[in-house]
Amino acid sequence: MSMPLVLASGFTDVRPGLIFWTLVTFILVFAVLRWKAWGPILALADERERQITGAIEAAKRERAEAEKLLLEQKMAIADARREAAELVRKNQAEMEHFRDEMKASAQREVEALKESARRDITEQQKKAVAELKALSVDMAIDIAQKLLGEKMDDSRHRALAQQFVREVPAEDASKTPRA
Amino acid sequence: MRRLLVAGVVLVAGLALAEPQEGPGAEHAQGVDEKEVSVADYILHHVSDSNEYELEVPILDKYNKTYLLPQLFVPMPWGGRSCEPLAGAEAHGDHGVARPSLAQGCLDLSITKHTLFMWIAAGLLVLLMLTVPNRDKRQLVPRGTWANLFEAMILFVRDELAIKNIGTKYGAKYTPFLLTIFFFILFMNLLGLLPWSATATANLAVTLGLAVCVFLVTQFASIRAAGFKAYLAHLTGGVHWALWPIMIPVEILGLFTKPFALTVRLFANMLAGHIVIFFLLGLIFILKNAALAFMSVPFAMGIYLLELFVAFVQAYVFTMLSALFIGMGVAVAHHHEEHGHEAHGHGH
Repeated sequence: MSMPLVLASGFTDVRPGLIFWTLVTFILVFAVLRWKAWGPILALADERERQITGAIEAAKRERAEAEKLLLEQKMAIADARREAAELVRKNQAEMEHFRDEMKASAQREVEALKESARRDITEQQKKAVAELKALSVDMAIDIAQKLLGEKMDDSRHRALAQQFVREVPAEDASKTPRA
Repeated sequence: MRRLLVAGVVLVAGLALAEPQEGPGAEHAQGVDEKEVSVADYILHHVSDSNEYELEVPILDKYNKTYLLPQLFVPMPWGGRSCEPLAGAEAHGDHGVARPSLAQGCLDLSITKHTLFMWIAAGLLVLLMLTVPNRDKRQLVPRGTWANLFEAMILFVRDELAIKNIGTKYGAKYTPFLLTIFFFILFMNLLGLLPWSATATANLAVTLGLAVCVFLVTQFASIRAAGFKAYLAHLTGGVHWALWPIMIPVEILGLFTKPFALTVRLFANMLAGHIVIFFLLGLIFILKNAALAFMSVPFAMGIYLLELFVAFVQAYVFTMLSALFIGMGVAVAHHHEEHGHEAHGHGH
């Protein structure tokens, strides 16, 4: 292959017309593709990337939020548990206190009842003793009248009998069993 | 099994290509030099641009057809010669015949073989890009092999070429331009690998046209990013005014070497592969030995596969360098901003 052949063959020719057509074709292809292909395709790709980034960000945020919520829930549960325990404890204490109080009050009532009964008995006893004394005076007078056979001056004799009765020891009356 | 099949194909192809050699002895009598010249001539004719399209039918040579492509001459104001379409043999002759030149006042806008295949590539590109990766606007994820393939390439150009070389600020703005450059070159390269077609990118005028586009966009990007004053200031190289007579021509030369390198690289790469394939096959005819087909055809197939790879690589390299040049043009702005800040700092 000789050099003149290469030069004559024309593959190194630069045709101005072809440069022109290249420019025209390129500009047309560029305009059409930019309008109908690159624009929409790149916009879609951008949108997709934006959505993916957004989704990842949102997922991260939501996860953090969920973790925070979980922690809060756990803390709330622990609080509730502690409160319940406290409540139970307090209740028990209260119950104990109430029971003690009940017991004490019952005791007090019983004591009061006992006291009043005792008081009643003493009173009755006193009354009975007084009645008995009065009766014994009358009886003593009757007996004495019969014994002496004479009618005694009532007021003088009566004072005498009362003196006798007073001399009778009072301890016997208190030792009598309760009615 | 597959190996057998390949061997069979190679054998048939070798015989088919060798067949003309087994004709009458008259051709054999011709000198080796003359035969060699005719093979070289055939190859160079084949890779050159021409005003006609030759439809070659393998083996059945008599069905070969030659179509004369439309001619169009536009008279220029300085014209002296008449710009009438050529007729007869003059119209067909692609070299050796004096066609009216631009200097003579005729802009030759005739459709040539390479113009035709450039248009076919452009048509295919537009058709495919408008149908395949364009989809329902609500569907954010591509479905299917082809949509995914195109989207992967488009995003590769955007992320790895545009944004990496130009930067995030301006990268997205020049992505459509780089995408067009990449796919236009890729489609022309790939189309040239099909039988009965021609490689438009193996033509200096086409690669020059593309490089001019890159040159214009680079200057535009630089002016837009830096402002016209900073752009002019950059051409002086930022040196003392006394050195301007040296610096300005150097800088201007620098502006033009970049597109020149783009032009020649793409042209030479696309042309070289085709010539190598032709020569490997032509060896059979030069050495007049059909058995050589067993060697040249597999080798040619290897080169063909390499060409397939080169088609992608050259589209990538052209686009990558374009992005790099645009990035350098845009960087003029930052350069001057930094200078400005420095001057400001010194003032204090």
